Amino acid sequence: MLSMLARLFKAINSDAAPGQVAFAFALSMIVGFTPFWSLLNLVVLLIVLVVRVNVSAFLFGVMIFGIIGYLLDPVSASVGEGILTYPELRETWTQLYQNEWARVFAFNNTITMGGLVIAVVLLIPVTLISRMLILQYRHRVLTYVNRLKIVQVIKASKFWMLYTTFAGQ
Amino acid sequence: MTKWIRWWGILGFAAVVALIAALIIVALPFLIKTSIEFVGTKVAGAKVTVDDVNVTLSPLGVQLERLQVADARSPMQNLVEFDKAVADLELAPLLVGKAISNELSITKLQFHTPRENSGAVEVVVDPEEANKPSLKEQALAELPSADDILAKETLKTPQAADALEAAWAQRSQELDTVIAELPDQKVFDKYQTEIQSITSGRLESIEDFKQRKARLDALKKQFKDDRATIQNARDTVQASRKELSAKLAALKSAPGEDLAYLKDKYQLSGAGATNLTGLLFGEDAAGWAKEALYWYNRVLPYLESDGEAEVEEDVKAPRLAGRFVHFPTNDPWPDFMIRRARLTGPFDGGQLVIEGRDITHQQQVIGRPTVFTATGNGLQRIGDLDAKLTLDHVQPKGKDVLTVAISDWKMAPLPLGVAGAELASSRVKLNALVTVKNGGIEASADTRVTQAKFTGDGKTLFAKELNAALNGISQFKVDAGVSGSLQNPEVKFGSDLDRQISSALNKRLRAKQDELEARLQTRLNAQVAEHAGKYAEELQSLMAMEGSLDDKFNALQKLAGTELESFKDQQEREAKEKVEQEKAAAAAKLEQEKAEARAKAKAEADAKKNDAKNQAKDKLKSLF
Repeated sequence: MLSMLARLFKAINSDAAPGQVAFAFALSMIVGFTPFWSLLNLVVLLIVLVVRVNVSAFLFGVMIFGIIGYLLDPVSASVGEGILTYPELRETWTQLYQNEWARVFAFNNTITMGGLVIAVVLLIPVTLISRMLILQYRHRVLTYVNRLKIVQVIKASKFWMLYTTFAGQ
Repeated sequence: MTKWIRWWGILGFAAVVALIAALIIVALPFLIKTSIEFVGTKVAGAKVTVDDVNVTLSPLGVQLERLQVADARSPMQNLVEFDKAVADLELAPLLVGKAISNELSITKLQFHTPRENSGAVEVVVDPEEANKPSLKEQALAELPSADDILAKETLKTPQAADALEAAWAQRSQELDTVIAELPDQKVFDKYQTEIQSITSGRLESIEDFKQRKARLDALKKQFKDDRATIQNARDTVQASRKELSAKLAALKSAPGEDLAYLKDKYQLSGAGATNLTGLLFGEDAAGWAKEALYWYNRVLPYLESDGEAEVEEDVKAPRLAGRFVHFPTNDPWPDFMIRRARLTGPFDGGQLVIEGRDITHQQQVIGRPTVFTATGNGLQRIGDLDAKLTLDHVQPKGKDVLTVAISDWKMAPLPLGVAGAELASSRVKLNALVTVKNGGIEASADTRVTQAKFTGDGKTLFAKELNAALNGISQFKVDAGVSGSLQNPEVKFGSDLDRQISSALNKRLRAKQDELEARLQTRLNAQVAEHAGKYAEELQSLMAMEGSLDDKFNALQKLAGTELESFKDQQEREAKEKVEQEKAAAAAKLEQEKAEARAKAKAEADAKKNDAKNQAKDKLKSLF
C-alpha cells in the first residue's frame, strides 16, 4: 500500500506525463464500476499494461472507484436495465447477442452495461480533470508544499525513504 | 506512436492470464465437487457425495466418479448412484459463470443400493406422518372388535352401573344407621307383656288405677319415639328404594341405548370396505404418489425460480451481480443447462435408459420445457416401460405432464387384507396420465388386469363366499383417478372387480355387523347382569323391609291405642253389666214362657183338627 502510494506520488511529482497518469486513473473507473471478474476488465488490464499509462495510478483508481462503484451499483443497474430494455436498441442487442464472444463480455448484464456506460461517459472528463489537477499540483502546490516544515518531517520518515528508493534519488 | 506502447506489457498480461487460468484449473474440480455435494444435499434432503471430479481441457469437460444420493427416509440406502458421469462444457458460457453441457452421459445407474455409512442429514421428520397407518390398516380399522369398541367408547352401561353402585354404597350406610335404631321383636314382646299386665285384672282401687295409668303413659311415650324411629326408617327405605329402582331401571335400559349409539357410530362403511381395488392397489399407489410428490416438491422451487418472482427480485436486490437480460437466440445461455443427458443402468433384469433434454431451471431463457423419457425393454417385472415427463415452466405457473405406459407388469402377490385372500398372481397393463398445474393435480390411470389368480384359506363363511366370488374372476379393469391439490389429493378407484364381488362383501359386512352387535349386546348384558342382579336382590330386600316396617308401625300404633278405664268407669260398667245381665235373664224367661204357650196352643189346635178329620171320614164311609 505504502509502495503503491509512493509510486503514485512519484508519478505525480515527477515529470511523468500527466496525461498518462490521468488516463490510467480514468481507465480504472471501468474496472471499479463493473463486476470485477469479467473479460471486459481483462481487456482493460491489457490496455493498461500495453499502453504506456501509469499502472500505480490505475491500481489506486481501481480501489477508489471500486468503493464508489459499489455504492453506484443500483444506479448502474438502473442505467443498464434501461439501455438493455430500450425498445429502439433491442434489435442491436439481439444481433449482438447472437455472437457468443459478445455475451462472454456480459454486455447483457445490467450492472456491466450500466457501469461501462457511466465509466465511458466519464472517461474523458475524468481524464481531463485529473490531468488539470496534476498540472496545478505540480505548478502551484508542490513548490509551496516542499517548503512546509511538515514536509521536511515527512522527508525524514520511513515513507520518504521508500519513496526515494523507488524514485531512485 | 511507439512511445505510447509498452511491449513488455503483453508479457505481463499473458502472465496474469496464465496465473488466473492455472488457479481456476486447479480449483475447479474442488469447486464443482463442493457445489454438487452442497446443492445436491440441499435438494435431496440427504447426503450427496462424489468420490472424485476431474476437469479435462481438451475437450473441455468434467468427469464425475461415483456419485451417491442417499435416501432421506432410509439413510443406509442410496436412492440412486452411478459409477461415472461425463459431461462436456462450453467454454464461452463458462467464462461468464454459466455451466452449459451439450451432452451428459451417466453409466451404471443404480437405484436403492446399500450404503456403507448413514446418509442422513439433520431434517425434521413429521412423527405423525411416520406413524400414519397404511391404507390397508385404515380400511381394516373400520372393522373394530367388540373389545376395542368397549374399551375406547364412553358408554352409558358402565356409567349407570357405577352410579347404581355409588348410590347403593351411600344408601346402605344410611339404612344401616336407621335399622340399627329400630325396636326389635324382643322389644315388641316386652311391650306386649307390659300392656297385658297393665290392662288385665280388676282395678282394686283408685291408687291401683293411677299406678297402671302412669305405667301406660310411660309406655305410650316410648311407643311414640319408636314410631318416629320406624317412620324415619320407613322414609329412608322408601327413598332408597325409589332411587335404587330408578338407577336400576337406567342400568337396564343403558345397554339398549349404548347399542343404538354404537351401531350408529360404527356403521361399517360399505364404500370403504368394499373398495377392494383400493385395498389392493391403494397402498402401493399411495407409496408411489408419495414418492413422486416428494421429489416433485423438491424440484418445483428450482423449476419456478426463474418465474415472475425472481425477475422482480433480480431488479430489486442484487448488487455486484446485476441481471442478465436475455434476447432471442438459437443458443441461449441459462445459468445451468444440460442439453442432452443419457442415463443408463441395470434395472429389473433389463436395461433402463433415461434421457433428458434441456435440463435447466431457467426454461424462460431457453424457451423450451425440460423433457425426460424413460424406456426399458424386456424388464422382468414390468415388461416394457415407456414414460415421459414434461416439466414446462417456460411461462410462469407452468404445467407438468407425466405419461406412463407399462406393458406387462407381473404383480407380486398382494394380500387383500380380508379373510386371508390374496391376489396371488396377475398381469397388468397400465396407462397413466398425470397433469400438475397451478398447484393442482389431475391424474387418471387405466389398468387392465389379466390372468388374475386369487387364493385364500379362510375358514369362515364370509371367507368362503369371498373366495368363491374371487375364483370366478380372471380379469378386471381398474380406473384410478386423482384430483385436488398436491398437498391433499383425493384418490378414487373404480373397478368392475368391485362390482363383481360387492354382493359377497356386503354379506360379509352384514355378518360382521350382526356378529359385532351380538358381541356387544352380550358384553353389555353381562355388565348389566353383574350389577343389576346383585342390586335387584337388595332392592327386593328393601321392599320386604318396607313392609316389615309398616307392620311394626301398625302394631305399635295398635299398642299405643290401648286405654286404661278409670275406677269409676269400672264401677259403672260393672253395675251396667249387672243390669244388663238381669234384663237378659228376664227376657230369656219371658221368651221361654211364650214358647211354652205357643206349643200348648198348637197341640190343642192339632187335636181339634184331627177330630174334625175323623168325623169327616166317618161321614164318607156312611155314604158309601
